[in-house]
Amino acid sequence: MSEEITPYQVVPKTPLAGSAAADIREQGEMTRRSFPFVITAAWLALTAALGGLASVLGRFMFPNVLFEPVQKFKAGFVADYAVGEVDERWKDKFGIWLVRTEETVYALISVCTHLGCTPNWLPTQNKFKCPCHGSGYYKSGVNFEGPTPRPLERAKISIDPSDGQIVVDKSKQFHQERGEWTDPESFIKL
Amino acid sequence: MASVRGIQEGIVNSQIWKSVFRVGIPNTNRKRVLAVLGSLILHLHPVKVRRSGVRMSYTWCMGGTSFFLFLVETVTGLLLMFYYRPTIEYAFTDIMDLREQAPFGIMREMHRWGAHAMVIAVWLHMFRVFMTGSYKPPREFNWNVGVILLVLTLLLSFTGYLLPWDQLAIWAITVGSSMARATPGAGNEGPMSGLIKLGDIRLIHAGDDARFGLIGGRSIGAATLLRFYVLHCVAIPLVAGFLMAIHFWRVRKDGGISGPL
Amino acid sequence: MTFFKDFINVLSAASISFLLLSSTFGCIIYFCLLDGRLRSKGGAAFVVLGVIYFVAGIFIRPLLYLAVAYVLILFGLSNLGPRLWDKKTGKWLLIFGMLGFFVSFFDPNFYLIAAKPDNVPIGAMIFLLGIFTWIALRKAYLNDKQIEAGGIPWEKTETSEKLFVWPDLVYTEMLCMILLTIVMIVWSVGLRAPLEEAANPTSSPNPAKAPWYFLGLQEMLVYFDPWLAGVVLPGLIIVGLMAIPYIDTNPKGAGYFTFIERKWELGIFLYGFLVLWSFLIITGTFLRGPNWNFFGPYEYWDPNKLVPLVNIDLSELVWVQWLGQPLPKLWPIREMFGIILVVGYMSLPPLLAAGPFRRFYLKMGAPRFYVGAFLFLVMMALPIKMVLRWLFNLKYIVHIGELFFNV
Ligand code: HEM
Ligand code: FES
Repeated sequence: MSEEITPYQVVPKTPLAGSAAADIREQGEMTRRSFPFVITAAWLALTAALGGLASVLGRFMFPNVLFEPVQKFKAGFVADYAVGEVDERWKDKFGIWLVRTEETVYALISVCTHLGCTPNWLPTQNKFKCPCHGSGYYKSGVNFEGPTPRPLERAKISIDPSDGQIVVDKSKQFHQERGEWTDPESFIKL
Repeated sequence: MASVRGIQEGIVNSQIWKSVFRVGIPNTNRKRVLAVLGSLILHLHPVKVRRSGVRMSYTWCMGGTSFFLFLVETVTGLLLMFYYRPTIEYAFTDIMDLREQAPFGIMREMHRWGAHAMVIAVWLHMFRVFMTGSYKPPREFNWNVGVILLVLTLLLSFTGYLLPWDQLAIWAITVGSSMARATPGAGNEGPMSGLIKLGDIRLIHAGDDARFGLIGGRSIGAATLLRFYVLHCVAIPLVAGFLMAIHFWRVRKDGGISGPL
Repeated sequence: MTFFKDFINVLSAASISFLLLSSTFGCIIYFCLLDGRLRSKGGAAFVVLGVIYFVAGIFIRPLLYLAVAYVLILFGLSNLGPRLWDKKTGKWLLIFGMLGFFVSFFDPNFYLIAAKPDNVPIGAMIFLLGIFTWIALRKAYLNDKQIEAGGIPWEKTETSEKLFVWPDLVYTEMLCMILLTIVMIVWSVGLRAPLEEAANPTSSPNPAKAPWYFLGLQEMLVYFDPWLAGVVLPGLIIVGLMAIPYIDTNPKGAGYFTFIERKWELGIFLYGFLVLWSFLIITGTFLRGPNWNFFGPYEYWDPNKLVPLVNIDLSELVWVQWLGQPLPKLWPIREMFGIILVVGYMSLPPLLAAGPFRRFYLKMGAPRFYVGAFLFLVMMALPIKMVLRWLFNLKYIVHIGELFFNV
């Protein structure tokens, strides 16, 4: 039983003196002084080239134009919505719940902040409940049960000054845990 | 019987046969050696192997099974590609078509069950390799190639899961890909990501984070389907095939199937 | 019959069956090691654990079932001893397992879940894993007996014997391929691949599951936030697997089955592979129903099952419940205890190196030891968090919502 396990070893052959191979060897030998410089430069160049290539490839995977459904839509007039109700009419088309309270209207994005399922609004229990892993949210969007670490997001909402309709813009979201729900763009004050 | 033998001999001795298979029927030791050496496919093997390396009770034949299932997946997958279009409009109906209308309508079944079986086979292969201590020197590198193959096998399955574009598919991928959102420092919801800012503007958001790059959009959609299709049918199989070649080559170069010294 | 079903449902639904499984499994290894006699510290430890379960079980009802089961299994195994590795015992275990499985099919709830097309391979996997684990341990046991008696493992008796690839290997491969082809065709004809309704982004199914081989990860999501369960831990699993050959410097046990020569390696790997990875997949597949609630194997998957989710954070537990204080406003103070715990846990390796594991530290050297200890601690964080969840309903040990950093 041998201690070292070396199944194959490549032992470079010394070329015959005077042969072409020996010649190449001689000429290819670098001087001691230039060696560290050359090898540093070579490694740097290689790293830079590979890094450049990787970032080009990486950037290529991030499209500049998206062919996604529109993020911005008009949602009618405030008077169309009942006070204290969670309105589901835009959920299927735009993934938005509009909620009107006594003083405000806000737009909740219907994407569970746990792992992206679509929660259901359960009017009888007065909460949003995610079917995937059971996260639960109050009407305000704040989470109170299940594995999710944070509340639902709200979308930018405003009133179009030209026709008085509600405009919801999903491309801008407001996070409660970052203190963004106080932002005047995150709700309409009545 | 004699005539059957005669026909066989006639075929084996014909010029056509001999031009393909140089050796003839390997019935002597010399011919056995030449048969293995002279064939691209067979010479993946050495000429002679250790007795325990042939035993099913030692290798469980799981590496070979993984490879065979990979080939099954390649062939059936290729056949599926003749009928499948990776767009939101057609993907689901094409799968329906494959299932109800295509002749010999079990190609999809074979492909799906083959994928499941391959995952299991790769796990059992890894299990065997661990239990026999076959990752120990000089086989460390091949173990690592194996780990990457394991990851690629899972990714192949994962990308394929989306393609039928049914409820099972999109929600599994929604849940699975949402985890990328939580990548520390690179996902919209990962820890530390909030610290990467330019003035007051967060640089990492839903429109440019790790998940966005993976699925090509903010939510699972047409771009995701196309991306996963390309990864599933071309990119990952190519890489996996390449690594398998290295894997097999290293099995030989590391001294064949492991055995005690 | 109903009592039996209730019993099993309680067993699984009290998620502590997880513990049972892991320790039973450790037990099997010990029996393999000890030749069936409880004579070392390890064996005694399992008996003590059994007694603790039993005493605890008297106070907590579902645990009583568990305790009884646990003691029974211990007793059975200690009687089986080395006979566990007999071919005959193996055969009977398999027959009983299969019988149990097929009889269970008459239960409509069990049938509904186990006969789902995508779950069929997982059912097969359970048996395959069981069979192959048994085979590997049996071979290890046989070899170990040889080694202890001063002999050599059987693989060594054949090292000098070489066979021609043609015909020996090539024919075996051919046979395997033909068999596999037949299996694949029969399977494909007999079982249709599932296809549900067309994708609908606005309505999630309940429960929504990841592909089955990722269900272990999804199960981890119950205990950890996505950044840990979905990114960091899977990453570390891969890194850990790749690191194995470089951390493990034990020169013995290469190329043959053995247990006694590689106790630690096998113990840790089998725990990770069988108990954590595979068992969590099985749990995620068969025992997680609507709303990701826990259901026993014979339980009806009731989407309205009410499970009170009363999880609390460590900070709340300590400040509010134990000290009777309101939660401090500043997070470094609020999360003080959790941070101390986590930091303390992750700085165990130097302590271990100086104390109980000095032997390993000296043998492996610092880099190997620290990387290995780190990976091991990360792996053990999962069962630790699981136990904390069941016992104290603990949600987060550290909860810094401000930085999105929750552990
Ligand atoms: C697509 C996946 C894979 C394929 C097709 C594959 C194929 C094979 C084959 C055909 C062998 C010859 C011996 C045998 O059949 O057991 C082998 C050996 C080996 N495989 Fe894999 N393998 C795969 C994945 C893996 C994985 C996941 C690991 C470990 C993490 C691994 C590690 C090894 C090692 C270390 C050997 C040498 C074993 C020895 O010499 O006994 N492979 N592989
Ligand atoms: S996705 Fe909603 S709870 Fe997990």
